[in-house]
Amino acid sequence: MGRVFRNEFRLIVGDIGVLLFFIALPLAYPVIYTLIYNPEVVNKMPVAVVDDSRTMQSRDFVRKASASPAIDIYAYCNDMAEARRLMADGDVFGIMEIPRDYARCIGRGETAHVSFFCDMSLLLRYRTFAAALTDLQLNVISDITGDKIDAAGLGSLTGGGTPMLFESKSNFLGDSEQGFASFIIPGIVILILQQSMLLGVCMLGGTSRERRSRNRGIDPLQIQAPATATVWGKALAYTVFYIPLTIYVMRFIPEMFDLPHYGNPVDYLLFIFPMLLATAFLGQGLNVIIKERETVFVVIVFTSVVFLFLSGLTWPRYAMSTLWTWAGNCIPATWGVDGFIKINSNAATLPEVGNDFSALWILSAIYMLFALWSTKYINTLYSVNVNKPTTKTPKV
Amino acid sequence: MANLGFLSGIRREICRLASRRIYFFGMVLVPLFVTVFFMSILHEGLPERVPTAVVDLDHSSLSRAITRNLEAMQTIDVDHFCETYDAAMEEVRRGNIFGFFVIPANFEKETLGGRKPTLEYYSNLTYFVPGTLAFKGFKTVSVATSAGIIKQTLSSAGVDPTKEASLIQPLSLDIYGLNNPWMNYAIYLCPSFTFCTLALMVMLMTVFSITLEIKNGTSRRWLETSHGSIGMAVTSKLLTHNIVWFPITLLIVWLLFGYSHFPMNGSMGWMIAASLLLVVASQAFGLFASCVVPNPRMAFIICALFGILSFSFAGFSFPVQNMYGAIGIFSYLAPIRHWFLIYINEALNGVGLYYSRYYFAALIAFLFVPVALLGRLKKACLNPVYVP
Repeated sequence: MGRVFRNEFRLIVGDIGVLLFFIALPLAYPVIYTLIYNPEVVNKMPVAVVDDSRTMQSRDFVRKASASPAIDIYAYCNDMAEARRLMADGDVFGIMEIPRDYARCIGRGETAHVSFFCDMSLLLRYRTFAAALTDLQLNVISDITGDKIDAAGLGSLTGGGTPMLFESKSNFLGDSEQGFASFIIPGIVILILQQSMLLGVCMLGGTSRERRSRNRGIDPLQIQAPATATVWGKALAYTVFYIPLTIYVMRFIPEMFDLPHYGNPVDYLLFIFPMLLATAFLGQGLNVIIKERETVFVVIVFTSVVFLFLSGLTWPRYAMSTLWTWAGNCIPATWGVDGFIKINSNAATLPEVGNDFSALWILSAIYMLFALWSTKYINTLYSVNVNKPTTKTPKV
Repeated sequence: MANLGFLSGIRREICRLASRRIYFFGMVLVPLFVTVFFMSILHEGLPERVPTAVVDLDHSSLSRAITRNLEAMQTIDVDHFCETYDAAMEEVRRGNIFGFFVIPANFEKETLGGRKPTLEYYSNLTYFVPGTLAFKGFKTVSVATSAGIIKQTLSSAGVDPTKEASLIQPLSLDIYGLNNPWMNYAIYLCPSFTFCTLALMVMLMTVFSITLEIKNGTSRRWLETSHGSIGMAVTSKLLTHNIVWFPITLLIVWLLFGYSHFPMNGSMGWMIAASLLLVVASQAFGLFASCVVPNPRMAFIICALFGILSFSFAGFSFPVQNMYGAIGIFSYLAPIRHWFLIYINEALNGVGLYYSRYYFAALIAFLFVPVALLGRLKKACLNPVYVP
């Protein structure tokens, strides 16, 4: 096993393709992803205003709207047709229509209506608009009502001034700035760890199988050892190789970009170990379908997107059907992402992510058996007697 | 055409496609699986019934009324009742709930006494969608409860009921989500992610098919089939792939807009045109990568890196306009970005072809990018060197 371990290390270092996956990918991808999402929040979204009221009140309303960080008043339009043209051109993402009777309704003590038409191409924009407009509405209402209640002499009934009887305070946990990078990056980095390792392991496996088919079933660069020793030796080699990168990805990426990092490093590093192990086994198991180096790109790359959804990061797992919940249960990163987010962003401790932790160990055990089966199966494919050396000089 | 080697090129490529299962896997199985996967996983549209908790430290009739209001909200599901803030926090850390609502002690007494107590609610934004839905539910309840009490107070003071509404809500700001009023996540994620995966697979399979000729040393024979013309060799190869890609693309379009009734407010014809152009533009991208570095490893890495990153910088979830300028500019190098903008204009908003003219032009422009570099590929094909 020790010899397999050392030999596998030599193979990793000797293969530039694998090194790209094992080192360059986990080094560069988290940085690129964070740079994409680092602006965190969506603000200053251009809005067109159609003000049919043209009164002091309506102008006051627009002024208050433009004070919101989310809204940037791009243009005042004469009518809705003009505003819709701006929206179709992609110049604005929302249209605010203030009707003719806006000021009259407020003066008469009736409910005034303002309509906001929101482009729905991106839900993040809608979400930001909706939050900003709700605040705007509450803000304007409290001004209007405060005046009215005072004017009607009912101030004593409602606690004076504003109509709110109690304050309400919203707190955001884990991602207090409501930023997009802070939300998605801690999950993505774990997925990157798993996927880069899978790609690398499968590429090593595919290359070895290419050598075997060229050399009558024997891979001259592989140590001939029993399947158990081979599987464990390789898995440990990959896991050990990944330790520095794991520390970089889990500890330094959140710190570099000032993303949430509340967890205890000991907790999350211990936590992630079984995920790396499970992935190393899974990769070896998958070698059964990888006959060639280049196949990994076709077979593995697209799964990143599927695994991202199965992990529940973008779409919560409680809303998935049983089929997809179980499919997600089989992926190490599902548990890895969930546990790491809890530790990193919510400051959970290792016992609190016990579910995820034990699931990862169970997956490690299952995938170890899978890798054993796969290694033995591939051996039978090439029907080699492991102890019989080839007589021909091996081609590498 | 025949003596230019076009037909023989096509015949040769059909045999190659049929010779290996990986082509069927990458060109048929993966795109269809991913389409069905996204349609099925996002089936619910909006993940309502977010698990949440209430921490009621008051135990008064008012606090129970608030709890009932919370339970009546459509977006959240109050399935935990915690005794303390710490207990609720632990549930959050364990991932059992996505938010909780705290009603402080003496809440009713202080509210009725006019001392303005504070209601607090906590939403866990480490999971964005359920966290946001929990926040929305909490906010609605806290505002509505306050209005309810004021209404009661005003009624008891003898204020005219017709005036009550305007006193409590003198302004109503109605938000209309155009063409997706249900905030349906499937509408905004499913088509874009499906087609982005399709574009990724087209790029990868193009690279696979071209660079494997170099790896296996069959590239000379490939060129000979088209009498040494690299343009003809590439055209016949990639057009043959389209015998598979085009029906698959049409099938995906039908699955989304026909079978699943995703919004199609514009012209189906232009949407199909855009989708087929996306396939061809992605082939051009794959060809471009194979020309720049005619060896499998680097060409694959370029396409895989770019294909996976385009899920992010095509701006499906985070708008390109808000990215850093130096990053956002890359989005326009991805064919899928232009397809996405056409999809928004044609299918979602139905604003007419005029507004998508540049995006169509951009997709067509992709076809011409690799032409200048074909010479490089030809040189590599004549002297195939495989770098593992």
